[in-house]
Amino acid sequence: MRKFLSLIIAFFVLVSLIGGKAFAISSKNYIIIGTTDKISSLDPAKGYDYLSCNILQNIMEGLVKYIPGTTKIVPGLAKSWKISKDGLVYTFYLKKGLKFSNGDPINAKVFKFSIDRVIKLKQDPSFLLSDVVKKVEVVNDTEFKIYLKYPFAPFINILAFTVSYPVDPKVYSKDKVYNGIPVASGPYMVKKWVRGQQIELVRNLYYSGKKAKTPIILVKLYRNANTLYIALLNGEIDVAYRTLLPQQFAKIQKNKHFISMVGPSPFIREIVFNVKYKPFTNRKIREAIAYAVDRKQIVKDVFNNQVTPLYTLIPKGMWGHKPVMPHHNIKKAVEILKSLGYSKSNPLKITLWYSPSHYGSTEAALALTIKNQLEKTGLIKCQLKSAEWATYVDYWNKGVMGMFLLGWYPDYFDPDDYMWPFLASSASNGMGSFYSNKKVDELLLKARKVVNKKERAKIYYQVQQIMAKDVPYVPLFQGKQRVVAKPNIKGLLLDPVQIFRYYLLYKK
Amino acid sequence: MKSYILTRIGLSIPMILIILTIVFFVLRVLPGNPVLAMLGPKAPPSVVKAMEHQMGLDKPILVQYVDYLKNIAKGDFGHSTVTGMPVLKELMQKFPATLELTIFSMVVAVFIGIFYGTIAAYKLGSPIDISARIYSIFVYSFPVFWFGLMLQLIFGVWLHWLPVSGESSPFMTPDPIHTGIYILDAIINGQWDVLKDSLEHLILPSLTLGIVISSIFVRMVRANVVLTLSQQFVVAARARGVKEKTVLFKHALKNALPPILTIMGLQFALLLGGAVLTEVTFSWPGIGSYLVNRIHSRDFAAIQGTIVFFAIFVAIISILVDVINAWINPRVRY
Repeated sequence: MRKFLSLIIAFFVLVSLIGGKAFAISSKNYIIIGTTDKISSLDPAKGYDYLSCNILQNIMEGLVKYIPGTTKIVPGLAKSWKISKDGLVYTFYLKKGLKFSNGDPINAKVFKFSIDRVIKLKQDPSFLLSDVVKKVEVVNDTEFKIYLKYPFAPFINILAFTVSYPVDPKVYSKDKVYNGIPVASGPYMVKKWVRGQQIELVRNLYYSGKKAKTPIILVKLYRNANTLYIALLNGEIDVAYRTLLPQQFAKIQKNKHFISMVGPSPFIREIVFNVKYKPFTNRKIREAIAYAVDRKQIVKDVFNNQVTPLYTLIPKGMWGHKPVMPHHNIKKAVEILKSLGYSKSNPLKITLWYSPSHYGSTEAALALTIKNQLEKTGLIKCQLKSAEWATYVDYWNKGVMGMFLLGWYPDYFDPDDYMWPFLASSASNGMGSFYSNKKVDELLLKARKVVNKKERAKIYYQVQQIMAKDVPYVPLFQGKQRVVAKPNIKGLLLDPVQIFRYYLLYKK
Repeated sequence: MKSYILTRIGLSIPMILIILTIVFFVLRVLPGNPVLAMLGPKAPPSVVKAMEHQMGLDKPILVQYVDYLKNIAKGDFGHSTVTGMPVLKELMQKFPATLELTIFSMVVAVFIGIFYGTIAAYKLGSPIDISARIYSIFVYSFPVFWFGLMLQLIFGVWLHWLPVSGESSPFMTPDPIHTGIYILDAIINGQWDVLKDSLEHLILPSLTLGIVISSIFVRMVRANVVLTLSQQFVVAARARGVKEKTVLFKHALKNALPPILTIMGLQFALLLGGAVLTEVTFSWPGIGSYLVNRIHSRDFAAIQGTIVFFAIFVAIISILVDVINAWINPRVRY
């Protein structure tokens, strides 16, 4: 036995003598990003969750793109474009000599193939294109036209989103979602992808735009905020982006071994009412609840002031934003409830639903806080119920939940994306609210067709006012992006459109 | 011996079949639509219908059940609804990491269990014995993820001695990969720095799981050795003047082993369950992490596949243990 033990010890001593060499790759050449998000699919026709899209935004490029740090659209793979007077035909002129990361050419045919493919595959994000695109017509190698079904002002923003990115027809099948290593058209390309664990990005040498600043980016996926936090503290990752708990972030902010940044986010949270579900069929009850909710307390108690209160669906900072919803006023809430005949002995009995992990570990606290606020009126008895995400989605589609918590990330950066999916009769069932208002439908359609921004903003003001009266939703707050990094990491940018740009990061 | 092995295998088949059935029906009784989970809330109803048809979810449940059994019998665990890859292939990719973790945890558990348990039995009633009993109750009640977190905090965050996540440092994976077990691959390739890195990554997870499991072993070994120490052959050995150490380890422990071995084999099931939690805590890229990921996206094929895989694995281990036992101790066979 002793012999065996000493053999083992000798072996380890030997290993530590021979081993322990420096990394084969200098640590200057790579940056490790840790996250609690997941990647569902890196096929632009399917990927629709945050991290899938964000990886795509770093390895692919569309016809147009945003200037980093702004919401301004500039040419991407397209050199220029023209919009017909009636707003129905978009003509694109591509840059010459564009190539995918495998050397295959990117031309007009590729774009036609890609757009047709998204529409044909009918995956999650496909409606963004299929709702508006009539057909795509190739003129020559570098020129093509997109015909729309009706004039749609935010269309150019959709072209900047991942769903419109070109894919290589030689690799991606026309009638199947692609699950392999993506073929890149952006600053990075995927070298290795260990599903559910990590993804390694290296520079795409065929990319014609600005070269990515760091040769290798490694994105590591963590199960929850705790594991991410511990890995960060132990120095195993350079950057932690999405999502530490508010308390963990507050602690890190005081830690001088790290730098932290807070930036705007287009992410919003809201209470949804199923307006076909009793008692929420009654507009006055919805209104009373809107009065009873105290956003400032939520922001302070649940989120350590790391989010901001929101009084409409369109986030602050975006044009068209008009804070129309009533502020916290418990007297008003009590007044309305009393007028409806509710009393201490006969309270309004309702259920608030939430999903415990989908929106991070703060969700239960958020639901509990709202419950307490409603019960403070003395006239409401609120029960809490929760369901895991897959079940939750099923429930709201079936209209099982009358009042529940939901959140929204925009698909394209335009007020339309905060109004149409919520309020249009054809879309609101997808949000579980089943709200329908003819006047609103008319206005929303009109806003889609008008090109002039000021006129569109006016229409959205009108819509928001109707929303404040009908209260199918109670907008709660607007998120903020938070990032933590080691002090030697430069080039961090928290973008208003929430694209986290790996290609701007570098180590000092 | 041959007929004994065959009987054991035959008896495992109904067990696996029962597990298959339970998993299948429980998953379908639970609320939550896999198609909606897959396509997302914004998918139009027509697409949802088409997808349900494609996945065969619109067929009567009994037809689905029969199809499912047929496919498993053919070794087809279905395709993941998340990645579209064959589940069995995905599982085989993740399995080496889990195997690595469970083997090392078992080594830790057996090591602690045998030494601590034997010494406690030998010094019956002494402070060492009392500490062993307290240890096993105390450690058995540790939640794996809490204990893992504590080790991470102490050895990672405070002392900075050991890494707390993953199977290896970035760019420190063995190349080429032969078995998928990093330690083995690194040794085969002679990449000593990779081996060191892999061992460092393995220490905390296997300690976490190993220590928690060891609690049962300590108690088992202690009880069995106490029993054998009172046997006459021990008295006889001592009377012949055999060294105390030899009496304890060669005579008493060896004779106490067969029942312990059986328990250890059965603990493998517990070990795999614990591995799920350990893997999640340490971001270990094994089957446990895979399972938890897929549960969240309601990936029927992957969840079913993983549980069936575990069941078959545990069945094989228990057959092996039985066979070894029968081989050591022929009385078992009759």
